[in-house]
Amino acid sequence: MSHTPETETELNPLAQLATARVSRRRFLAGTGAVAGIALVTAACGDDDDEAADTGTDGGSSANGDLAIAQLAAGLEVLAVDAYTAALDAATSGALGPVPPAVATFVTTAKGHHEEHRDAWNAVITGAGEEAVTEPNATLKPTVDAGLAGAKTVADAANLALTLENIASQTYLSAIPKLESKDAITQAGQIQVVDQQHIAILLYALGKYPVPEVFQKTDQAATA
Amino acid sequence: MTIDDRQLQELIVESQDLQVDALRQGRDALPLMAEIREDRRKEPVNLDEINRFNANRRELFRSVKKAGAAFGTRGLLAGGFGGFLATLVASPARADEALDIQILQTASSLEKLAVGTYEAALGLPFVRNGSGTAFDTIRAFATETMSQHDQHKKAFQDQTDSLGGERQDEPNPKFQQVVNDAVPGLTDPLKVVQLAATLEKVATDTYLMNLSMLEDTPSKSLMGSVMGVEAQHLATLRAVEALLMGNALDLITVPPAGPPVDLAKLPAAAGSVAFPDALEQIGPVAEPESGAK
Repeated sequence: MSHTPETETELNPLAQLATARVSRRRFLAGTGAVAGIALVTAACGDDDDEAADTGTDGGSSANGDLAIAQLAAGLEVLAVDAYTAALDAATSGALGPVPPAVATFVTTAKGHHEEHRDAWNAVITGAGEEAVTEPNATLKPTVDAGLAGAKTVADAANLALTLENIASQTYLSAIPKLESKDAITQAGQIQVVDQQHIAILLYALGKYPVPEVFQKTDQAATA
Repeated sequence: MTIDDRQLQELIVESQDLQVDALRQGRDALPLMAEIREDRRKEPVNLDEINRFNANRRELFRSVKKAGAAFGTRGLLAGGFGGFLATLVASPARADEALDIQILQTASSLEKLAVGTYEAALGLPFVRNGSGTAFDTIRAFATETMSQHDQHKKAFQDQTDSLGGERQDEPNPKFQQVVNDAVPGLTDPLKVVQLAATLEKVATDTYLMNLSMLEDTPSKSLMGSVMGVEAQHLATLRAVEALLMGNALDLITVPPAGPPVDLAKLPAAAGSVAFPDALEQIGPVAEPESGAK
């Protein structure tokens, strides 16, 4: 059986890759109609499931990105609420004497988390969904109990440490699952700052500021 | 339904011909591909080209999925050539893998440079011989940080191995030059801390940039994990830098090298100096090809 050279090239990915170097545009365009049906049957579990559209790891999609953004926004709302409550407690004297560096830290971290919340809500509203204004419901009871039990600056700092760890590890855990490059970068930008909050909290609590060789994800929140 | 044996036999023969042709073309192309791989080994990765390819790959995936749904042919052509194409389109491009390897090699080169720089700093007379808790803390931090960077380097090298790339064990030339230029001016602890902070910022921002370029998931997870630790090195160094500038040596103390810091004595700025931005702003970075082999 014979083939035209063009057909041979379009049907043979190795030859096409070699002759056209890495430009696979023609190959994909040329074989799409032929390969399409087979591809669908081999790779898609549900024709209505947009999550399969990415063609990468199968676990990321626009919907997946949105769910992660909503999870992140809920965590940021929780952090803002917690820092606000800590600031109120410090102002009222409920935590005892508050060192100047602690007051600055709480104010700064609260502002950062407000910006993080707004950044994720911009992603969410940009996708046509409602902004997240409620704190993460799973973690809220624990944080509320921690705030109620905080009698000293160290208690509040330890609670902040827990929240920052959860947030930072959630971002690290989410990054490989995100599809949008902008969302990946945004998660990374926030993860960096949360890790820096953690280092200074550890230092202030008299602990080593960089306790792990590799950041873990065992405390990451899930959607 | 009846089957036309003659037509079926013709189809089988035609299919066998196609397979033979495909194998021959594949074998013919292999030497050329190897040559191209060698040619491209040290070329900068064309990110636009890769992004275009990936966008096309995703678009194809979408369109054929819709086509499949329209024709209702699920399961009809699974396996064989269809399976091969599914794998090809659903898997990262070879160019993606090449970029991933370059990124990992460059990350290894940054870690190698960091190890060397901390080692050199520890050998400087005023660091080695300085007395007091502040110097004990700085030495302990530099020693631990050097060890952490060495473990990061090994992790990046191992990941390079796993992708079939060559391990990078040389310092990044672009930022080695920055270190070389700074060395003559390293006359006091503040300048050493500032140089270390510069390298930590470069590593943090390089890894942040890499996150959106990497295709391989384990590599992406490793990059993010190391980035989080470099960010903490950077925050600590910024705090130490501020305390050195404020001549507050007694506050440069971290267990086990010294006692816990007296929180009440920390200046207000200590609560914000380590994180100047709400979202990390990317500064100078080591581009993927800058430390590639």
